[in-house]
Amino acid sequence: MTQGPPPAKVAASIRRIFGPGAETSAVAVGADTVLRVARGDSLLGFAAVGNVIGKDQPITFLVAIDPSDRLKDVDILVYREPYGGEVAYDAWRRQFRGKSATDSLRVGREIRTISGATISVHAVTLGVKRVLADLTRWRQSGAIR
Amino acid sequence: MLRAAACLTLLAINAVPAVAQESTTVGGYGEIHYTNPRGRNTPAEVNLRRFVVYLAHTFNDRVAFRSELELEDAKVEGGSPGGEVALEQAFLDYRVADAITVRTGLVLPPVGIINETHEPPAFNGVDRPAFDHDVIPTTWREIGVGVVGRLPVADGWNYRLYLVNGLRADGFSGADGIRGGRQEGREASFANPSLTGRLEWVRPAGGLRVGGSFWYGGTTAGDTLLGTGSFAAPIALLSADVRYDRGALAVRAVVATVSVSDAASINALYGSTVGRRIGGGYLEGAYEILRHVRAFVRHERYDTQIEVPTGTPRDRGFARRITTLGLSYKPTWNTVFKGDYTVLRTAAGTGQGETLRLGVGYQF
Repeated sequence: MTQGPPPAKVAASIRRIFGPGAETSAVAVGADTVLRVARGDSLLGFAAVGNVIGKDQPITFLVAIDPSDRLKDVDILVYREPYGGEVAYDAWRRQFRGKSATDSLRVGREIRTISGATISVHAVTLGVKRVLADLTRWRQSGAIR
Repeated sequence: MLRAAACLTLLAINAVPAVAQESTTVGGYGEIHYTNPRGRNTPAEVNLRRFVVYLAHTFNDRVAFRSELELEDAKVEGGSPGGEVALEQAFLDYRVADAITVRTGLVLPPVGIINETHEPPAFNGVDRPAFDHDVIPTTWREIGVGVVGRLPVADGWNYRLYLVNGLRADGFSGADGIRGGRQEGREASFANPSLTGRLEWVRPAGGLRVGGSFWYGGTTAGDTLLGTGSFAAPIALLSADVRYDRGALAVRAVVATVSVSDAASINALYGSTVGRRIGGGYLEGAYEILRHVRAFVRHERYDTQIEVPTGTPRDRGFARRITTLGLSYKPTWNTVFKGDYTVLRTAAGTGQGETLRLGVGYQF
């Protein structure tokens, strides 16, 4: 038995990041799924959901890019630990905006650490880098367009 | 059209990757130390200080189990001293709501920084601060039930509140304060339920975490000579801590005060010398001088006999000032090579010393 992120949360995240009226279609890339986001004929970007293990529970997050492959925003969809979860705050997540796969994303340099939440910070940063790299690679190979 | 788009969205979203619902996580942490006290006839020692296996299981979205099984000093052998096999944590979490998780089992009182966050890559210095041994008795764990979660009032607020078994006054001492009073989940007396908790705030953008903690409870363990009633011979502990990170700089500080109001009767009954008031703190600054290399300095000041009751001799050797200078090299965020030099001074001038330590630590 498996559980994805609640569909309502993904929908809300897409709406928040791309604005109301964004239409989403799923594109399969190998075993992965990318959400293509458009409004009418105009492409707004792409989004993908990833999971990374925090201390022991997975953290489910969404990475969205714009048509020029820059990171539009990150959302923490499900944080399962009973406390902590500071990685979900906008003030921390906004550091990722505008980054591209070639930008350096190092904790303690480009990405601020959160005192006492080292594991989540490293896990989410690594996860975002990975998903951003995947999306960029698929864009360049034409797997998503 | 709008409905079609929404429908499409739902279909698309159901196709995103999923997380296994029931899952087991294995992890661990450990540290190996080299300790060389300065002076003649004080040979160095090497020790596999801690080897800890972390085992957790998620049953479903609401229920999870977490545990840490620890082996100290590499080996435990019948009839010979040293070494310890112990459970450091073992509890079941039940999430009732986003803000409320009920936690039941062997839990860590959420006091100070090190007790809850004690993995070697998470602190500077080969050994934990001595303050986190003599004043806050880490690794402190007791059995009980409580609630933990995020306070929904505003971003960044977390809390924990537990009802646990009490400490035992017959274990208190002048040198180590309340440390010997811990019961650690082994056939623990529940004659004196105690309350412990913590409120903390994290700056949403990162870089700052501030916390306040307390412990309150009786300590008779059923010994009526010390008093009757759940809160007889109480100890009260208050603590505050701060962690600040900015670029290459990391600062942390902890203060704590413990009052043992019936220290006079405890000492008379058990022939001990516990202080009526115990307390102190430390301040630590670290700076990343090279990539992955941190230099740090920590200054601790504490006294396990700030006040003693009439009739108890006060040993000024328990008023300690400890300065530690060191380096940490972290090739990855969860592995560390450490080296430091510690200078211990006391108000009496007794029991002083200087020690060189080297160590490695990991967590995964």
